Formats: sequence, structure tokens, C-alpha cells
Amino acid sequence: MSESDPQLSASANVETYQPTIAHITRADELTSTEMLLELQLDDGQVLGHAAGQFVQVSVFGVGEAPISVCSSPTQTGSFELCVRAAGNVTNALHRLEVGDWVGIRGPYGHGFPVEEMVRKDILIVAGGIGLPPLRPLINLVLENREQYGRLIIVYGARLPKELLFKDELDSWADRGDVELYVIVEQPDDDWPGPVGVVTVPLRDIDIEPAQTVVAAAVGPPVMYRFVAFELLGKNIAAENIYFSLERRMKCGVGKCGHCQLNNLYVCVDGPVFCYSDLQGLDEAVEAWAPPTAEAGGERQEPGKGHG
Amino acid sequence: MSICVIEHDELCALVERLIRQWPVMGPRQRKQQPGFYYFDWLRSADELVWDYVTTTLPPKKAFFPPREPFLEFSRPDPAKVRPITDQGPFVLLGVHPCDLAAIEQLDIAYSDNAADGRYLANRARTTAIIGVDCWPDEYCFCTSVGTEQARGPADLFLTPIGRGYLVEVRTPRGQKLLGDTAQLLATDEDEADAAYFRSEKQRRITAQLETTVEQFADILAEGGLTEVWQKVADRCYSCGSCNLVCPTCFCFDINDDINLDLTTGTRIRTWDSCQLPDFALVAGGYNFRRERWERVRHRWHRKFLYLYTQYGQPFCTGCGRCSRACTADINLVEVSNDLIAYAQREKRNV
Repeated sequence: MSESDPQLSASANVETYQPTIAHITRADELTSTEMLLELQLDDGQVLGHAAGQFVQVSVFGVGEAPISVCSSPTQTGSFELCVRAAGNVTNALHRLEVGDWVGIRGPYGHGFPVEEMVRKDILIVAGGIGLPPLRPLINLVLENREQYGRLIIVYGARLPKELLFKDELDSWADRGDVELYVIVEQPDDDWPGPVGVVTVPLRDIDIEPAQTVVAAAVGPPVMYRFVAFELLGKNIAAENIYFSLERRMKCGVGKCGHCQLNNLYVCVDGPVFCYSDLQGLDEAVEAWAPPTAEAGGERQEPGKGHG
Repeated sequence: MSICVIEHDELCALVERLIRQWPVMGPRQRKQQPGFYYFDWLRSADELVWDYVTTTLPPKKAFFPPREPFLEFSRPDPAKVRPITDQGPFVLLGVHPCDLAAIEQLDIAYSDNAADGRYLANRARTTAIIGVDCWPDEYCFCTSVGTEQARGPADLFLTPIGRGYLVEVRTPRGQKLLGDTAQLLATDEDEADAAYFRSEKQRRITAQLETTVEQFADILAEGGLTEVWQKVADRCYSCGSCNLVCPTCFCFDINDDINLDLTTGTRIRTWDSCQLPDFALVAGGYNFRRERWERVRHRWHRKFLYLYTQYGQPFCTGCGRCSRACTADINLVEVSNDLIAYAQREKRNV
């Protein structure tokens, strides 16, 4: 008698959740809570990620956490992760040094539709820890700058000292072909720039709606709704707005259920979503919308929210 | 597929032979709790109960254990991480139609997209599955979700008849499994016996969804049911029992267990529940289903709307386990019918 089912065993790779070992080749403190880790896979393979994809990072004995790859896909010898110390795994990552090793699974999910952005004006909206998942896209565009129209980057942080990739922000500001708006909510005495949240500069930027594609990732989940409201107010179609969403992916392959957002799995259907695919889903961008009287205490219906 | 008849004593001899050959998992009665049943490894055919009411936990635990160590690691350099794969083939027997349907659904969900290799490896090492037809209790509602005659992955399926069991030999593996077991020709009377068993089983099922699963999915998609969800949530303790006894729930968590030497350990997959408050929590303390009613709704949406839409069948097999296990006596059929009635009332009022 056959002791295994050939149909089932064909795809029965027990290593679905087995990480590859990677060593840390650089570890830089970006802020008091964010660290930039550069990693190399021990097997010599290229990670082969797309802009916007994430990996599952293991610190064995502590656990696994999903983290966006923040280096350009064209950088192949190594890759970078920007890690905010937020939970057990990320705090353990902060304690690691050059030469230490971690486990890597992935890359997982869908990234930004870079092809669709060619010849378009690109508006990047980043809030806080939202900048790292957008950085590969920004780098890709800068590497092939002539293929794209305007590159507008709006970046907001709570405090000036929480701004990430400060050297890169300076270099983008120095280039003549990047329109950079950096804003903080709580300035210190030395802060020369504007004060407020990312929607403030967004409001005043002139764009050509039909010519613009937006890529956004904005830290606190509640901010997505306000950014969407601002963008729709500028007459940008939802089909041209891409959001990178954060959820607690455990498996990365659409099985464990943790990142489910209505009928979608953030780990396989996202983490980058077209906004038009999220409209009408009350666990996505419209989460935390205040209840409205006409909806009888239900969260706002899609399409009639925003205001 | 062929049909034959096996007498009861012959079946016991077959089970004894299987137990000598492979690890065999089947339904047993709890010694301390007569009337309660559980799937476990059998040491002899006497331990097996063919005519049991539903078990507390579904047989999915044979392929998707409640706690599955799947990686061994050692922390200092050189790094060592190795998958745990030291299990062999086994036989699963005494599986009811609802649970056969559930195994088929897990096969679909875990094979889809990027397949779950852990689960599929466990399925692939299943030598054979033997199903058996059953009597319902007041919680069973398989006729509402169309699983009362499910055969799913069963290699053999038994229906109790006057002179033993009518056996559907569904696969070549099933035929091989029978070996030299005496197989009698099924007569018209045997077939009539089995047909009577099936019709009597269906007649005894009293719990019933008051729409089709298709209409129920439409009702859930339509929304506007917050009042009903909130009423259920007022009674729910968010204990997660409903998820843990469900034969089609497949969510899990992954955690590391480090040994006392602080250098070696295992990575473990455990069953998880979308009803627990921290299930959809992300860094920074944001919870995407913070309210209890949102989690209650998610359970229904996932089973009867999301997975129904994705795979064309509700991920509920009508086994009734969640209603039996609920610490607050929340009954899935009653709540579903409340939702249906509420939606129909609202529609009339518009």
C-alpha cells in the first residue's frame, strides 16, 4: 500500500516556515527607537524583494516579526531593515550587533506597482515609521529618475529627533528634481520647518490629478483615513492611490488569520493595496471612523465617509 | 468505487490488524465522563466506539495538532535551525461526514496560494481515513450546510446496517486496507437498510438554518446587523472555545519555547482564536477588532461570507461543536437565525 498521498505530498514542503540564516553586516542607530540593520543571507542568495514587500525576521528564543525591507531592490548583495523597538522581537533585534545572526523568511506580499508609475508624477506620503516601506520605491525612482515625472515626498514625524534617514532627506532636498516637504507635530527650538501633520503640506501641494500616482504609509492606523480624505479632495482617483498597511502577520502566506482585514489577507493581498480595493471595507482605511447617526451607530458606510 | 458488507466481528478484526500495523487514531469514550468522546491513539479495537456522538475536539488534530513543535534551533554560532519531521504514517478511523467535510475544507485552505507544508506533510503521511455515518443530537445541523452525506477524503465509509456495515470502498487505498477481510456481497436489503439509516438520521436533525447558505452570505454582506452582534457580544466571554473546537478553524500563532540552557529551543505552532482580544493587535497598541462585537461578527463573516466567497462553501460543517462548547450558551444556529430574522424585518421596514 502506498503510505502517502502523492497529490498531497507534492506540495508538502515541511520547510514552509523555516527561515534562512542571515548575518548582520551593519547596525546603525537612526533614532532612540529605530535601528537600521544591514543583513546578508548566509546561503549567498539574493533576497529578491520588490519595493514594499516584507520579510519575517526571527530572533530564535524570542520569536518572529514582520518587517518591511527598506533598501532598494537593486541593492542585491545585502538588504536593510529599519526596526522600531516596539515589541519583544524588535527589542531583541535592537540588542544585536554586527556579526550576530537572525532568521529570515520571505520576501512576502505585494509591493508597489512600479511599472504603473513610469512617466507619472509620484506623490509619496510617509508618516513616522511609514517611511521605511516607501524608501525602496523612492530609491528605485531616484535610480531611474528620467523615467518618471515629478517626485513629491511628504514626510511627517511627531518630533524632529524622530525623523528617519536624515542624511537622505538632506540629499533629496539638495537635488533639484525632488520636491520634499518635511513636517513635525511638536517642534523643538531648532526646528526651522513647518509644524503639523502630513495632511497639512498635502493640502497646499498643486498636483495634476490624472497624472499622479500616490504611495502612502503613515504610521498610526487612524492617519490613513485623513490622508485618503485629503487625496480624494485633490481629485486623485482611488485607483491611483496605494497604501501600505500594517498588520500582525504571523505566517506570511495567508494561513494564520492574524492579518485578515475583512475578506483580505494583508500578507498576500497586500501589504500594498490599491485604495479602490479597500473602499467599503470597515477594517481597512475607514477603521476608527466615528459612528454616524444615520448609520445607526454603525461605522461609516464606504464612500460617504470622509468628513 | 465499490460496495460490500462487513460483519461487525470482521470489522473488529480489521481494526485489530490495523492497530498492529500502524498507529491508529479513533474515537474513544472518556472514562471519567461517560457520553463524552475524544479522538486518540487506540491500543485495542475494544477502545474504539463506532456509534459515538460528536467528539469534543475534531479529528483535525491528527494533521494540525493543538501544539506542534516544528523547528529546533540552537542560538550560539554556528547557527542551527532544523525542521522537526520525525513522524510516520498513521490511520484515522471513525470520522463522521461533517468532519470528513471539514478535513476536505482544510485541505483546500491549506493548499491554496502558498501551501502550508506542515499541514500537507501531515496529511500526506495519513495512510488511510475510514469514515462512519452517525446519529445527530440537538446541536447537529449538517443538513443546513449540505455535509450530511459528505465523504471527503474517506478511503472507506461505513453505514451501520442490520448485519454489520455497508462499506463504500472509495479508493484503491481503501481496497488495499481491507486486505483479506471477509467482504460480503451487498444485497438490496442491505442497501435499503443503509438508505433507511440515512433518511432516519436526516429526520432526527432538528436544528436548522432558516435560509440557504447563499442567502445567508448575502445577508451578512448586506450588513446593518450591529444590534444583533452587540446582543451576542453582551453574552460572549471572548474565551475562544468556539474556535478551539471548530473542525474548520485553521488560524494559529507561532511562538518560541527556549530551554533552560537558554541556547536551544523549539518553535511551536499553536491553535489561535480570533475571539481573543489581542488577535488583531498591532505594534503601538492599535487593535483592528477592539470591540467584542467586532470579533463575534468576524467569526461569522469568516465562516459564512469571506471563506464562502473564496471557496464556494461555508467553512462550517454543521457539527454543532461551538454551540456545545460555548461557556455562555451561545448557539450558532440560534444566532444565525436571529440575524436572518432581523435582516428580513429590516427589509420589510424599508
